[in-house]
Amino acid sequence: MADESVGVKTQADKAGSWLTLDVWAVLLAFVLALLVWTGILQHVPW
Amino acid sequence: MATNVVAIDTRSKSRVGQVLALIPGILLLAAIGLAAKWIEQSINGYTKAHHIAFPNIEYVLWAIVIGLIIGNLIKIPAIFQAGIDTYDFWLKAGIVLLGSRFVLADIRKLTGISLLLVFIEIGGSLLLMTALGKAFGLRPKLINLLAIGSSVCGVSAIIAAKGAIDADDEDSSFAIAAILALGAISLFAFPAIGSALHMSNNAYGLWAGLAVDNTAEATAAGALFSDAAGKVAVLTKTCRNAMIGFVVLGYAIYWTRKGQAQAIQNKAAFLWTKFPKFVLGFLVISAVVSLGAFNADQVKSLANLSRWAFLLTFAGVGLKTNFRALSRQGVKPFVVGIVGEVLIAVLTLGLVVGANRLWTL
Repeated sequence: MADESVGVKTQADKAGSWLTLDVWAVLLAFVLALLVWTGILQHVPW
Repeated sequence: MATNVVAIDTRSKSRVGQVLALIPGILLLAAIGLAAKWIEQSINGYTKAHHIAFPNIEYVLWAIVIGLIIGNLIKIPAIFQAGIDTYDFWLKAGIVLLGSRFVLADIRKLTGISLLLVFIEIGGSLLLMTALGKAFGLRPKLINLLAIGSSVCGVSAIIAAKGAIDADDEDSSFAIAAILALGAISLFAFPAIGSALHMSNNAYGLWAGLAVDNTAEATAAGALFSDAAGKVAVLTKTCRNAMIGFVVLGYAIYWTRKGQAQAIQNKAAFLWTKFPKFVLGFLVISAVVSLGAFNADQVKSLANLSRWAFLLTFAGVGLKTNFRALSRQGVKPFVVGIVGEVLIAVLTLGLVVGANRLWTL
């Protein structure tokens, strides 16, 4: 059981290791671009 | 198995807690940014209504100034800190979205010139800072950190190099403090010099992108001059950021050979880890827009989203610049930093003026 939980933790850590701040920022920007492209987000004001 | 479920449940709850902890600080960034925008619009409205000739002071400056006042005069409660620290995240998201304002042809032209100047700037800065650091008797690893920070991309480069060359915390905080202090000075000095020299938007943006070390300050220094200059400053700074892995790898190999850093097993993986991924995001968005996937109104929306992200960034730059904390870091690294940065600013200004004569930027 202990081994299993360690395994889960290691997998989660590995998955988390590439999700850096940079990657999150890129993902957010892509999601926003997708929302604009599909028309869900329209006429963003400034 | 039950243990796993509990572990995952606890982890997801703590993730939710972490995200919720960001909200107060992000709201503070937004409040400062909106106040800055309101001040800009109010001054413009008043001066226009009363026919007063007054230069347009962009929201960028107001956001930084309000942030500086709050950050230096008030002790910000801990509840805001995590959210304020997200300013770097908004900067990177803003840069990726800014890709929508560049067609690939622009990037090819500007990147070609930028890259050439970036190579010269990196080589020149590394040599200059190393020579100055040795002349002032600084510790070797502190010299390296200052050289990397001033030649490539400020704080992120120093943090990347710290791990790679096994530098100690004290040296890293010295180098980071020096780079941040100089970045704060450049926010005010660069636009003033650019205006005094009547530089074009492209030439000024190129100069700010080459000479200002931290990405947030380079973006702000560009935007303080003009919107167009801000775009070019970001592009040039992005070219410098892309070099981070190569420079850090070079130093890591040097210290490994001296037996004072751990050997790097897989150099390609090391380069990929250190490569700033937002540079790729920026290129992807630019390529998609260049292919005509977005109409004019959508491109405008993307550009405005980028502006909102930068609004949060600039508020964070002001809040995070604490002059008292910077002054506690000692004099010598600052002297080396100031002398080095002034020389680098002059060198890069010369490069930009030369490039302007050759290619009319």
